Amino acid sequence: MLRDALTILLSSVIAVGGGAASAWYALESAEGVGALTVRGWTAYPDAGSPQADPYSKARVAREADLPLGRAEGISFSTARDSGGEPLRRQCSYRIEGEVPSARFWTVHVAAANAADGAPDGRAAALSSLALLREADSSVVVVASRHPAPGNWLALDGQGAMRLVLTLYDTPVASNEDIAETELPQVLRIGCDG
Amino acid sequence: MGRWIYALLIGLVGAGIAHIAIILLIPYFSERDSWALVSEVGPPYAVHRLDRNGPAAKAVAAADPMFEVAACRFDLRDGSVHIFSAGSVPYWSLSIFDRRGQNVFSLNDRTATGGVLDVVVASPVQLIELRKAMPANYENAVFVESDIGEGMIILRSFVPDPSWRQIVDRHLAAARCETGAG
Repeated sequence: MLRDALTILLSSVIAVGGGAASAWYALESAEGVGALTVRGWTAYPDAGSPQADPYSKARVAREADLPLGRAEGISFSTARDSGGEPLRRQCSYRIEGEVPSARFWTVHVAAANAADGAPDGRAAALSSLALLREADSSVVVVASRHPAPGNWLALDGQGAMRLVLTLYDTPVASNEDIAETELPQVLRIGCDG
Repeated sequence: MGRWIYALLIGLVGAGIAHIAIILLIPYFSERDSWALVSEVGPPYAVHRLDRNGPAAKAVAAADPMFEVAACRFDLRDGSVHIFSAGSVPYWSLSIFDRRGQNVFSLNDRTATGGVLDVVVASPVQLIELRKAMPANYENAVFVESDIGEGMIILRSFVPDPSWRQIVDRHLAAARCETGAG
């Protein structure tokens, strides 16, 4: 009798505990189902739409997020540089390369964990409408704590961060071949200690 | 020994079922979803700014810092909803979210006549009624057909640099969101 009760208890604990823990893990892990990674940048093209997979829907509901619609734009984020190292606020980075066609785009610095929200004040951000361009109209942005000539994305504080590149009014968002998109590289220049 | 392995297997199958059930039910039972946050900001049929340190901070935490976000809740069972604001801003885009926080429709200022924010959301039946007798203030509007009942319009407006802030603020403050004919 007692053994029966213990067996049932064990099954129930595994079922409820394991189910809850695996669901939590699936929603917490940064690159979940529905994520699309292109050249180190991650996007969720279907996030928020009725066509999204159940994991994306659960994540959007849990994080109370208001994702961009396909006609609005698409946002790519990365927490690592092109060498695979985590991005840190005490380092300097050079963001260079092709940006897909869009009416305009912005790049901003965000907290390492999307749920942490923006740090105090206005986050560092640049838009493509106010950038210096190279002779071949490409763009080089330097993200650093120290002022840099050209396009400077000001960093401050310590610790991990993410870079978010958002393209507005772009054919990329409604394109099936997002994986073919050219996105800029994030090259580490150096770090302060 | 055998019965413990049996209990373990049953438990694992149960865990799989619980996992699927939790994932599928979160959107329906989440009490702190974007709809709940936007409801805290103010009543329906008004355009409310979602400030980064206001009650809806979590909903705009991941938003682009160069954008201002505003919301208007509506219920199509009351009639069609009309959002408009005179004047022009560098870029605006708008999405319609249903009660579950799903982005069911989006458009940007290139869709609108002359880039003016003037959009009507209506159910298919209301659209038929509207076509029979078009109200004068709907003449230049972009019509969006949607059958969602309760929902919210999320309006995003681009602030290219601080000199534009006043213009964008004024445009958002002047925006009206009204239930109308149909």
